[in-house]
Amino acid sequence: MSSASVPVAAPLVRRKPPWSVRRRRFLIGVANHSLLIVAAALFLAPFVFITLTALMTNNQALSPQLWPRPFQWNNFVDVFHQAPLLRWALNTTMYAGLATLGLLLSSIPVAYALARLRWRGREAVFLVVLIALMLPPQVSVVPIYVLWAKLHLVGTLWPLIIPNWLGDAFTIFLLRQFFLTIPEEYLDAARVDGCGEFRILTTVVLRLAKPAIAAVALFSILYTFNDFFLPLLYVGENPHNWVASIGLSEFRSVHQVQWNLTMAATLIVMAPVIVLFFLAQRAFVEGVTLTGVKG
Amino acid sequence: MKRGAMFLTVLALVFAAGAGGVKFQGSAEASAQATTITVWLPFGGRELGVMKRTIAEYDNKNSNVKIKVAGDISTTKIVAAIRAGNAPDLAMDFESANIGTYCSSGAWSDLGPYLKKDKVDVNIFPSAARYYTQYKGKRCAMPLLADVAGLYYNKKMFKAAGLTRPPRTISELTAYAKKLTKRNKDGSLKVVGFDPFIGWYTNSNDRFIGMFGGKWVDSKGKSILAKDPAWAKMLRWQKSLVDWYGHNKLVKFHAGEGDEYSSSNGFESGKLAMNLDGEWRVAFIAAEKPGLAYGTAPLPVDDAKPGLYGSSALNGSIAGIPKNAKHKDQAWALLKYLTTQDHPLAQLSNGLRNVPTTKSSLASPEIKPDKHFSVFLKIYAHPKSSTVPITAAGVQYQDLFTSFVTKWQAGHAKDLAGGLKKVDKQIDAQLKQAGGGVP
Amino acid sequence: MSLVSPMAEAGAASVAPAFDRRRAKKKAAWRRRRIVLAFMSPWILGFSIFFGYPLVMSAYLSLTHYDLLSPARWVGLGNYRYLFGTDSQVWPAVRNTLWMIGVFVPLNVLFAFGIALMLARARTGSGFFRTAFYLPALAPPVAATLGFVYLLNPATGPVNSALEYIGIEGPLWFNSPTWSKPSLVLLGLWGVGSVMIIFLAAVLDVPRHLYESAELDGCGPLRRLRWVTLPSISPVILFAVVIGVIQGLQYFTQAYVAGNIAQGEASQAGDTSGLNLGYPEDSTLFYPVLLYQHGFRYFNMGYASAMAMLLLAVAFAVTLVIILNSRRFVHYQGAVR
Repeated sequence: MSSASVPVAAPLVRRKPPWSVRRRRFLIGVANHSLLIVAAALFLAPFVFITLTALMTNNQALSPQLWPRPFQWNNFVDVFHQAPLLRWALNTTMYAGLATLGLLLSSIPVAYALARLRWRGREAVFLVVLIALMLPPQVSVVPIYVLWAKLHLVGTLWPLIIPNWLGDAFTIFLLRQFFLTIPEEYLDAARVDGCGEFRILTTVVLRLAKPAIAAVALFSILYTFNDFFLPLLYVGENPHNWVASIGLSEFRSVHQVQWNLTMAATLIVMAPVIVLFFLAQRAFVEGVTLTGVKG
Repeated sequence: MKRGAMFLTVLALVFAAGAGGVKFQGSAEASAQATTITVWLPFGGRELGVMKRTIAEYDNKNSNVKIKVAGDISTTKIVAAIRAGNAPDLAMDFESANIGTYCSSGAWSDLGPYLKKDKVDVNIFPSAARYYTQYKGKRCAMPLLADVAGLYYNKKMFKAAGLTRPPRTISELTAYAKKLTKRNKDGSLKVVGFDPFIGWYTNSNDRFIGMFGGKWVDSKGKSILAKDPAWAKMLRWQKSLVDWYGHNKLVKFHAGEGDEYSSSNGFESGKLAMNLDGEWRVAFIAAEKPGLAYGTAPLPVDDAKPGLYGSSALNGSIAGIPKNAKHKDQAWALLKYLTTQDHPLAQLSNGLRNVPTTKSSLASPEIKPDKHFSVFLKIYAHPKSSTVPITAAGVQYQDLFTSFVTKWQAGHAKDLAGGLKKVDKQIDAQLKQAGGGVP
Repeated sequence: MSLVSPMAEAGAASVAPAFDRRRAKKKAAWRRRRIVLAFMSPWILGFSIFFGYPLVMSAYLSLTHYDLLSPARWVGLGNYRYLFGTDSQVWPAVRNTLWMIGVFVPLNVLFAFGIALMLARARTGSGFFRTAFYLPALAPPVAATLGFVYLLNPATGPVNSALEYIGIEGPLWFNSPTWSKPSLVLLGLWGVGSVMIIFLAAVLDVPRHLYESAELDGCGPLRRLRWVTLPSISPVILFAVVIGVIQGLQYFTQAYVAGNIAQGEASQAGDTSGLNLGYPEDSTLFYPVLLYQHGFRYFNMGYASAMAMLLLAVAFAVTLVIILNSRRFVHYQGAVR
């Protein structure tokens, strides 16, 4: 709002609104805050209950009692004796690590080609990439399983890892959106300098895209950590190769579900992700902006 | 460039971890003289230990073979492994009805040539065991221990209620159950006299219908759940008892129950006065609650069919050699030993309290006498004890029926006759789709 | 076909003589095509093997009876006849999946939007609240499901104990056919944080001047919400709806784990013969779960492929409907500016 030379009544100044309006706004603010507190309490309550149960004895966990008496801190140690959590952790790390690595290596060139190389049919291919996103995995799962079975790889984690080395639709989509925001001038300057497209990708683009790549890597790690259906299919019958999600769903002592230990194991499985979140908050936020707001 | 080198080092480390950690299932042991064969068993815990000890005896006697035993194996695991080419050499399955799928799909090898070569006479097995180890003339499994169901009852509770002997008919069972049931102040169940809920613990369709003498299929192999009146009678009785307890009250009772095979089993911890259970429970009680004052008896039967008393639905464990097993001959040698010799069968029977599956082992002097267990041996030998039909769809058709029954007992399926007719149609269609009904 | 911007190309072209220019252009074009192919090759390979091939193969297998143990047996339309005619579990499964999508997606969007609005308004402690709402979304699905099954245990769980304390008899939650799906919805809503964060970013991004001019025009808070906020964040709403629908069509993990554990059948690890997928009474039998059951528990890979074809058709139809309708409701920032 610029003050024009045309005479107007008076420039609009933010005067303090009348007491009634201020009071109403204050009350709304209080109501808002109270609602938030209640909602936050409800959202955090399950964590509290799970933690309390994790500290109970088994008999107490089966009873309606809510407060552990006594506190069984050793449950967290017992869990490791009960189930090969370290083995699961190793398998999960391997799956997450190799999958994310392959995903980045294969998706970055594709996203770049779809964003900053000009060629006929580019937009059509991008549409096809998007369509692949919509496909429920159950549609293609049977023939792919047959393929891996014939290759004798069922029971291992390779059927989960290898597809990530051939591009991932979601990652390609996100990276392409980001690459579109890189100004053309940077790339042209490099091209005029005689850089081939590959060198442009590795030197100019990668350096600029670090936050996007971090966000995408984070998403991939989260996704592989949470993946259940595909691991169930491929390594469900081979406990040696179980990842954390499968292991947790099958967590039983010899013949029964010990709820206190199961909740302790649940907490242990949740912990790495939560720690990762607190360490990498910025990358999380970056990833969020990449996905939704840019439509 | 320093960053590049670091990147490559990390890459190399990840790959090294990967190569080390991810193993291909079925990698052969580098053993100089003995061949190693893998055996997959559905047992776990204490029971697995019993199996392992018997197998170890064989292992020690035979130096040319080394046996690796894995437990807690389910049907799905076996099937998945065979499909993936990582099959064990010998596999065992609790569910004899699966023989239809194993045989018709060729998943388990035809044992005919082996039987002929070693001149094994299949008549050493009782007729039921002979029936559920073959499909359409092909024998792809050997029976390895059988299961029957009976009634366990808490003697202390019986005495307190003034009952002197176990119930023999359905009406007696119902009356006893109501008498022995105790409720809490808020109406929830404290002690259940007899739990009629199908799908809980060992309560299964085949065992319940065994009490009423019903048949699953007719001579042509068509499903007769609607035609055979025993089914409607059984379902109506069962539902009336469920309603007496209160369906939701039973669900809540189950939710607070200990797991079936744990030491907090409902019968063992005194929450059930009577319980339908298999003969294996004798061993569990001996191991977990030796002080429990209980008795065993045959299951009560339909008042109108007293001749059924003393029989039960039969089930058996089957063992076979997957079609892509790597050491079939050695597997067969072990299989023959376990399933045809009196000594291992008696040993397993003693340890697991399962029924041994050859006519001679049933009478073996090695079997430790036990008044609770001997009841089950008699039940197994009863001429009216029978097993479920074997089809190419394995246990699938039973799942269809269970799906209907769970709705029925909850009161969500009002038309019993119509519902049964529909299930019949579905079972017939399913069997046709699977490529073969009852032979 | 040029990879380089016209300016740079013009600069380079003006140097060489005409004939060599044409040859150089042809060579450059070839090099460019090779580069594009090289860059796109991982995706081309991946797409053919893991998208194109399975679709064709699924269509073929759906016409056979195949159990991966013996060769595929041709049955023509037999699987489809069973699917549409006799299978008693398919239509409950379809209904369950559609129910989940129809109930959960709107609730999820509503909750995410509502909480985002509240958070946008709050000045103090917004960081803490943001974390509180987002943390559950980080919980791995299996862990969260196990937690909820335990919490909602009708006999011993804390929720029913608390309800009993205030005199209400709690429902049977995961053990009741009427309450099992709502329990799953509750579980899903516990994870609303991930969508909520996106809504929050969008709400905070709405240009202030739009609100101010609306206020000047005399719009109250509700009308401002309807005419300023909603249109501005409509791309995010579309995004959330599309993601929700896609996830609904694949909904497997939570239903599978919850049904397993709530049954209480802990006889063997992974033992399936007694297991009743869709416990209780087929109420948690969703389409992907049924597909898994047929393809990987029974021996019916052919039939599972037929089910997959149906799923593909439905996914395609639903996506089409959403995309076609989105033009009517979604306003992109570009148009406004």
